[in-house]
Amino acid sequence: MNVRRISAVAQKEWREIVRDKVFFSLAFIVPVAMMILLGYGLSLDVENIPLTIVDDDRSAMSRDYAYRFIGSRYFDFKGYTAHERDLRVLLTDNRVRAAIIIPPDFEKNLLAGRPSAVQTLIDGTFPFRAQTTKGYIIAINSAVNMDLMADHLSRAKGISIQKAHELLRPVILETRYLYNQSLKSIWSLAPKLIMLILMISPPFLTALGVVREKESGSIYNIYVSTVSRAEFLIGKLFPYLAISLVNALILFLLATGLFGAPFKGSVLVFFASTLVYVCCTTGIGLVASVFVRTQTAAMIVTSIITLVPAVLYSGVLIPVFSLEKTAQVVAHLLPAMYYTNIVTACFLKGIGIAYFWQDILVLAGYAAALMLLGYLMFRKRTSS
Amino acid sequence: MKRESPVEILNWLRRIHVMTVKEFLQLLRDVVLLIFIAYAFTADIYLAGAGVSLQLREAALVVMDHDKSASSRELLSRFMPPNFKISAEEATHPRHAMDLLDRGNAMAVIDIGPSFEKSLIAGEPTTVQIQIDTTNSVLGFLASSYAQQITGKYGLEIALKKLGAAGGSVATGPVILDDHRVWFNPNQNDAWFMSISELLTIITLFSVLLPAAAMVREKERGTIEQLLVAPLSAFQIMFPKVLAMTTVILIGCAISLTVVITGIFHVPIKGSLTLFFAVTALYVFTTAGLGLFISTIARNLAQVGMMTVLVFTPMLFLSGAWTPPEAMPAWMRTVMYASPLHYYIDTGFGILLKGAGIDILWDEILEMALLGSVIFGMGMWRFRKQFE
Repeated sequence: MNVRRISAVAQKEWREIVRDKVFFSLAFIVPVAMMILLGYGLSLDVENIPLTIVDDDRSAMSRDYAYRFIGSRYFDFKGYTAHERDLRVLLTDNRVRAAIIIPPDFEKNLLAGRPSAVQTLIDGTFPFRAQTTKGYIIAINSAVNMDLMADHLSRAKGISIQKAHELLRPVILETRYLYNQSLKSIWSLAPKLIMLILMISPPFLTALGVVREKESGSIYNIYVSTVSRAEFLIGKLFPYLAISLVNALILFLLATGLFGAPFKGSVLVFFASTLVYVCCTTGIGLVASVFVRTQTAAMIVTSIITLVPAVLYSGVLIPVFSLEKTAQVVAHLLPAMYYTNIVTACFLKGIGIAYFWQDILVLAGYAAALMLLGYLMFRKRTSS
Repeated sequence: MKRESPVEILNWLRRIHVMTVKEFLQLLRDVVLLIFIAYAFTADIYLAGAGVSLQLREAALVVMDHDKSASSRELLSRFMPPNFKISAEEATHPRHAMDLLDRGNAMAVIDIGPSFEKSLIAGEPTTVQIQIDTTNSVLGFLASSYAQQITGKYGLEIALKKLGAAGGSVATGPVILDDHRVWFNPNQNDAWFMSISELLTIITLFSVLLPAAAMVREKERGTIEQLLVAPLSAFQIMFPKVLAMTTVILIGCAISLTVVITGIFHVPIKGSLTLFFAVTALYVFTTAGLGLFISTIARNLAQVGMMTVLVFTPMLFLSGAWTPPEAMPAWMRTVMYASPLHYYIDTGFGILLKGAGIDILWDEILEMALLGSVIFGMGMWRFRKQFE
């Protein structure tokens, strides 16, 4: 191992990156652009659900009931629909996502103290949205029921409406939100976006950097030089690590500055773990680059092995405990989940390293294994 | 315009044919690339469909039951899967509970006071506390609303039982029974949604990346010089490339639909597959314009890669592939209308899951075609210019 040779390779690589102005600027622009776009756009909040109502009763009570939905910020009322048979087209064409059908005699039944059935149709193409929509409808409906019953009870028993409400709700659930008291989705999201972007961009840069030499043939200079495999790889990866660390800093500043996410942990610990994580993701790029020969393949391979798993198995959208058993295993095999733990610990939870040193250790082991694998697979001799 | 003789037309066709054969050969000889295209259209879609659910599933609930009565156990027994799962470990002390939340071993902690049952019997209101980890705000909110539903229903039952015993019957009183019917995916099977969503995503990725890469590779290797001196127009160079890529993508799509989506996940395909493939061909072909556009700006494949990520990722997230578009800020939704993927997703789900025909989807298809033509035209225009 010779430091001079390593620095020579690193310098050569650095010049090559810097002189490709477009590549160099994109290496910084892409992460920032992704952070901003995803930060504003990747929201799982279900709001403004387009809704229509078929009111076959047209009474004061049915209008009151409809207004409970129309006034809710969760629904975006698209106007009444005259006939039930028109609903199919509206739902199929995505013009509404939910429809409520109020039957005739709605008011008559309720005033007579009888139950009345209301039908709800929900577009189920996106199950998460359907589930949440259903939750909103149930909540609004039970609030209406509570009022109706309290009203009925107070008249039947001659007690005040308030007393009737109390009688009907003997158990009060008091909810305390921890770590993100105001339920701001961007606070949850911004730290995890750092994870996501650092999962995508370093392997991409690295794989392209290594494969470019293969494809253009300039790697033969390395094959015949005195530079050893380890020296070449260290020197080669160094500039990409440096770029990714600068990106990590920029992303951190965006998360805290632009999106206002609270950072409660230790900055030093956070950046130390980030370094380990970036080594890990750079290692993924290295291993991918060993397997492929063309840059096209390198891009496709890295985007498939990083982007999709990082979104699906890292806890950015879905917590790991909610995954199916097989997917949980996959999640534990990938580095993203461990870094997600660290990021949430440092940003939102503000707990010490005692809680997540194991995660850092796993990442370090992962990085070491990837680098070793890359080293072993990288051959200075062309296969005949 | 001069009239073209049959020989010229024949020549024109022959050149297109030769170039198309060349593109196919080039593609088929890149084995790694082919393997990954195959992987993307099968295993990747399977993984996305099999493992991923965006619902609150089995949230780890830790119990601090200071009452240990029949009533408290009854309430707790209602926190069951699929939404909640009570942890085997019981918290003894608030600090212990906090530690479990900090470590991420619990998503929520429910705290039932010592006089829970006594208060219920006495008819006094009683309070139950729940602490929820909201590092994931969406699921935190879901957990809270489910917990609210469960306790509300439990409380109401207790109240009605008490009132019923006292003679006032409300059970058959004036209540609105609401009956939900979820259309197009009655069991809300996430695999149906995720696998189709993933398929549409992969199609988009390849239709941007493959043509761009194929074009820039010629630049990088210098083979473009040969094309420039060949008796070929810009269109004759570009069209065979897009044709070859479109064919490969359509084959991948067909495999994925038969093997994974209907084969493994049993998604009922309601609409016309002919229509779906026609729309997909249109989409892939026009989106390829985006790839061509990139290829005219990028000088090497590395730049193509970065630009593809820059174009593709926002397109993906802002089109409703993974997140409900209604929730986005208004200005973002406006941006979304400029993304062909948005229309493709609406049409794709419309045909496959909802069984919509061209009578309903014509406007989306038209918008997609218009937008696609603009994109393709821009790509073609830039592409022509670089030959001048």
